[in-house]
Amino acid sequence: MQLQTLQIRNFRNLVNIDYQAGSSLNVLVGNNAQGKTNFLEAIYLLSTGKSFRTALDEDLIQYNAGQYKIYSQYQMKERKLSSLLYYKRAGGKSFFINNKEAPFTHSDRLRVVLFHPDDLFLVKGPPSGRRAFLDFVLRQLSLEYQFYLENYNKILRKRNFYLKNEQTKSKSFSIINEVFVEQASRVMMQRIQFTSILDEICGPLYRAFSQEKNHLRIRYAISFPVKSDKINLDILQNAMMDDIKNRQEKERTRKTSLVGPHLDDLHFYQDDRLARIYASQGQQRNIAVTLKLAELHSYKRIGGEYPLFLLDEVLAELDKKRRTLLLEYLKDAAFQTFLTSVAWEGIDQLPGTVFAVQEGNLIRREFS
Amino acid sequence: MRLPRPLENLIDQLSKLPTIGPKTAQRLALYILKMPGGEVKELAQSILDARFMVYPCPICGNLTDKSPCIICQDEERDRSLLCVVEEASDILAIERTGYNGRYYVLNRTFRLMEDGDLTDIDTENFQQMLQPIVQEVILAMNPTIDGEVISRYLHTIVEEKGIKVTRLAHGLPVGGDIEYADEITLRQALEGRKEI
Repeated sequence: MQLQTLQIRNFRNLVNIDYQAGSSLNVLVGNNAQGKTNFLEAIYLLSTGKSFRTALDEDLIQYNAGQYKIYSQYQMKERKLSSLLYYKRAGGKSFFINNKEAPFTHSDRLRVVLFHPDDLFLVKGPPSGRRAFLDFVLRQLSLEYQFYLENYNKILRKRNFYLKNEQTKSKSFSIINEVFVEQASRVMMQRIQFTSILDEICGPLYRAFSQEKNHLRIRYAISFPVKSDKINLDILQNAMMDDIKNRQEKERTRKTSLVGPHLDDLHFYQDDRLARIYASQGQQRNIAVTLKLAELHSYKRIGGEYPLFLLDEVLAELDKKRRTLLLEYLKDAAFQTFLTSVAWEGIDQLPGTVFAVQEGNLIRREFS
Repeated sequence: MRLPRPLENLIDQLSKLPTIGPKTAQRLALYILKMPGGEVKELAQSILDARFMVYPCPICGNLTDKSPCIICQDEERDRSLLCVVEEASDILAIERTGYNGRYYVLNRTFRLMEDGDLTDIDTENFQQMLQPIVQEVILAMNPTIDGEVISRYLHTIVEEKGIKVTRLAHGLPVGGDIEYADEITLRQALEGRKEI
């Protein structure tokens, strides 16, 4: 997938931007609060319909304008496509692909992988972050996952409602349980399959990027016991039902669901030791970077095409050696990258096309 | 500018209807003002008639203006088949297939998140319909998670009486193109595949 043009109007401090694609690596350089991240945010919005910074579209309109507009032309599997998003105050959001109104789940939309400094805590942080990571990717990749996850969340809330109101002895609670287990197993199955793809991709990437001999493995960690080496829908459903029976009392006292994929985790092992506990901070960062790169490659593997790679201020968080390695990797990559960075002394040596971002303007910098 | 009070009232009332926004309501109201008086009276009367003369059949829940409804009165219908639907409008769709059994209409769409307990759903009339002559109950709920939950609930009720329960197959629309089917529908069609 290649972004060819991007027009932005009245989006945060970006009043009038007409971007023409540079090379596959695009570097946006500028001081703080000049609009670098806003540029990435605009691309992200075309892909997901949501911002990664705020839930309110009102906040995204430039303060004295009535609407914002983001328009892009891009190439996807050798097809030329365009998408347009605009938001009017009091008029809501409209999204178009090739001039036709479309939902944000449309298969021809732009796809992105966003690498944000918070992602560096993926290994060390709480399990919810790792589940959010899986959910985000799988929702981008699979309509089916979106459907099952939505159903699962709905039935989970209903189940918690029953537990809260102490209605667990009723006939309806056992029906809720049946549907709960069924939807849960669908969600888990997709997560498990995706994790094994990630695991395959991460192995060689980690060795190349970390330049360490350590071996990285990724496993999906189910939060209830499964007494079988084989995993399929039936096995998951039976194991989950058993665990629900075992934890009946505990669920009743705690009044919330203690079984299900909303409690699962993603485990990283470095030489068979849990990285969250045993790996050094530097190694944990390496794993996080590897994971993000693996996310990119998984789109290629599953959907047949690379998404755009957006890196927001990640360079500053990496040491010089890792920064150089990452830039080298991005320079020759088959995917298109947009990265932001504050100005620093090595800027002239940066590979790719450099843009200076100043007070909401984008200026292409030519180095001789 | 302030509109005359009766016109404003009409616009307000119309815009309460589903799918009708303020602009459409205004257009409809202005159109009504230009209609011949007789037609307007007919329109108003037909709204009143429909609202107060049509009610759910006390036996099956289908919308009717006489009790019991024409389907319940129809002696030609196959009384061994009972099809359960969420809304009376679903009957119209199923009738077009030539189905000749009887119906039971829930007259409410169960909403997992808003509704309280499943057992709050009044199933007394439904149980009344499960006479020994019924040999098969067909659950024709919408293919959503809410439809799934309600199907299972009704299943337990019918099962207690020892009657066979079936549900509609999920799958591809006829005349459609596999290439354009979404993956969820296609997977369900695969899982429900039949030997030929």
